[in-house]
Amino acid sequence: MAEPGVISEFVERLARELEFDASLARCVRQEVEDHLWEAVSADPTADGLEAERRAVANFGDPHAIAAQFVVVSLAKRGRRVGLGAIGVIAAVFVAMKARLTWYAAMAYSTGPMGALGGAVLSIDRYAFWLSIFVGMGSWMYIESRRIPAALTPQYRTQLRRFLLLCWVATGALGASVISDGVLTALRLSGGRWSFEVLVPLVSVAIEVACAGGLVASIRGMTQRTASAGRLAAMPRV
Amino acid sequence: MEGEMLKGHLDMIVLAVLSSGPAHGYAVIEEIKRRSGGAFDLPEGTVYPVLHRLEEAGLLAARWVSADSGRRRRVYSMTKRGVRELGERRAVWAQFSDAVGSLFKEGRSWQSPA
Repeated sequence: MAEPGVISEFVERLARELEFDASLARCVRQEVEDHLWEAVSADPTADGLEAERRAVANFGDPHAIAAQFVVVSLAKRGRRVGLGAIGVIAAVFVAMKARLTWYAAMAYSTGPMGALGGAVLSIDRYAFWLSIFVGMGSWMYIESRRIPAALTPQYRTQLRRFLLLCWVATGALGASVISDGVLTALRLSGGRWSFEVLVPLVSVAIEVACAGGLVASIRGMTQRTASAGRLAAMPRV
Repeated sequence: MEGEMLKGHLDMIVLAVLSSGPAHGYAVIEEIKRRSGGAFDLPEGTVYPVLHRLEEAGLLAARWVSADSGRRRRVYSMTKRGVRELGERRAVWAQFSDAVGSLFKEGRSWQSPA
């Protein structure tokens, strides 16, 4: 019976090297473990421990292999962030429409919006449309990029462009959400206060939470791009 | 064969192996070694980032199955997009190979301008 530990130590080390992407690390660990045990069982020598050592040696350096996974992780995350941005913009739109529908259904009498209300409404509209176009653009941009074998300077530039587009879309969405908050405050300030006003307030809170989630997601991707880039800069196998 | 030369074509090699049918990482590596007569002998771990990248690009699909050993195994198969991509790469490779082959052809007479 082979001494346990050579393979488990190796996959443990590989998983540590892949800690920049926890779900990828779990998947690769399981996959590699299966590979190594299969290599051991196919080894013609009877010495189990030696077979384990040989399987691990044939597999390659975990650090170098993890470095090759960097680009896969970034591509996956980038696509997820792009799709997430569209989902968040859609959720904000639904919350916005739900609030307006509620005003109409309840025949809610609102306070005077005045010139400030008109200006804020314009900002809201343009900012939201800008977030839709740029958000869609960022997703289409990252989806259409070919994933290279390694984190090349060209792909880094593409990721930076994508993140910039995401930040622009998020900034516009943030402006739209703030405008929604101001408009809701203006509407409620002149109306009657009751338990029901929780509906528009909750809808604004949902918008804020969505925008906040998007900021966190893009910030995470930005940090990951920087830290993963350092790992990928190490020499390959 | 030179590692760097091989790495440049690893996507195509993996796609070519998987065009015969679904397989897990170990089987893909073994098949590469077998078909190349041992000429393509890379560190085995190099194939996994390629498999994951091709999956992310939509050229491969992966699913977990239970192996006879009881371990969970990830099996890769070609998608329609992968089949199309392999066809395109094959055509480009054939063109390239023909062009290089004709450059290496011996017995061609040419006169030096000097």
